[in-house]
Amino acid sequence: MGFELLQPRSLAEALEMKKSYGEEAKVLAGGTDFLVLLKDQKLKAEVVMSLRGIRELNFIRHEEGKGVTLGALATHGAVAASAIIRQRFPDLAEACAQVGAVQVQNLGTVGGNLCNASPAADAAPPLLLMDASLILASARGERRISIHDFFQGPRRTVLQADEILKEIFIPQIPGRRGATYLKLGRRKAMEIAIVGIGVAIHLNGSDQVVSDCRIALGSVAPTPLRARHGEEILRNQEIRDELIEEAAEVAAEEASPISDVRASREYRLDMIRVLCRRAIPAALASARGNKVEGLS
Amino acid sequence: MKIPVTLKVNGETYDLVIAPYRTLLDVLREELQLTGSKKGCDVGDCGACTVLLDGKPVNACLVLAATVQDSDILTIEGLAQNGKLHPLQEAFIKEGAVQCGFCIPGILMSLKALLDENPSPTGEEVKAAMAGNLCRCTGYSKMFKAVESATSGLGR
Repeated sequence: MGFELLQPRSLAEALEMKKSYGEEAKVLAGGTDFLVLLKDQKLKAEVVMSLRGIRELNFIRHEEGKGVTLGALATHGAVAASAIIRQRFPDLAEACAQVGAVQVQNLGTVGGNLCNASPAADAAPPLLLMDASLILASARGERRISIHDFFQGPRRTVLQADEILKEIFIPQIPGRRGATYLKLGRRKAMEIAIVGIGVAIHLNGSDQVVSDCRIALGSVAPTPLRARHGEEILRNQEIRDELIEEAAEVAAEEASPISDVRASREYRLDMIRVLCRRAIPAALASARGNKVEGLS
Repeated sequence: MKIPVTLKVNGETYDLVIAPYRTLLDVLREELQLTGSKKGCDVGDCGACTVLLDGKPVNACLVLAATVQDSDILTIEGLAQNGKLHPLQEAFIKEGAVQCGFCIPGILMSLKALLDENPSPTGEEVKAAMAGNLCRCTGYSKMFKAVESATSGLGR
């Protein structure tokens, strides 16, 4: 796997390099997927640009009343250990803590996880729940797009040849939020999700009536996605077992899983229902236990 | 084309000229002759190559050597200090926690990182710290016992 290695020290330098090399320069962040693909010769690279030396991209920043911003190089380990993420976005902390194992979490980045655009990316469902936005930078300037518009298919995103993911922005979410991410694998560590499910419940005033419910699914469609019809069933409702059951059924109908080496289509559909039935009450309990108003 | 690369390993600085695509694991083993870090799967699944990068355990097989020139790298060869074994190493010997030994360097590095951050971990925390290290002899129980013995020893 011979290649030329570019090692920019600043974002500006990286963007200039990406401008001249374009598609030819493959971007390397943590390397936990990238180097495996190179070694397996599933990815060919003449030029590799490592972002590791760009310190300005390695941060987690919280601005009260605004939201949390993750630099493109924030690792799964750093995000899972961040006090502000654990407190306010437990679903994202849980997802990051379930990527591979410690060694992979210390290398792999949330940004890289998104840019690889695996349908099974663990960080994607929580960020879909949060309506996160992504700041894409190029020498031409920056653009902000919703995470809902980022994925185009397995391993395909809207990133242009001269663009780099710079930041992930998680906006303030009003009311009390409770959330969880459940990952199904054959074992706990070093697994790619057979099904991954994120559920967020928002309470506003009442502990009984759900002001918003959000459900995100991973590994069951060409891209991670929101189960918006399933969410509708629970929005502005008092949660009862029959409604959870119905939301789980509807969410499964929104998925389009394939059968592959890890599981069959039928099993995945069944597991969406099972995991929804577990995740919805867990998210509700977490929201009720959360006494902080105006989460950001 | 080869490039100049400077690595800080176990407190020593090494000036090398290597191909940019070589992994930290290959450079440690083949250029520095530090063969304690093992090559098991070479794709980040087995943990036999675990080293500490600025104190954090990583898979050396998933790191390009040229990209970690700013970091402090600690390998199993650097675990003993001034000829004195680390308490974890002592405990592994005392408890007979080693069978074939192939996974042990990686496991010790994972555990060292854990104890540096958390000197008295729970059993679950030890398991989580070792989740990325496979032992094909399946000798985990004695390793858990060794960690217990090392941590109680460290506390004294």
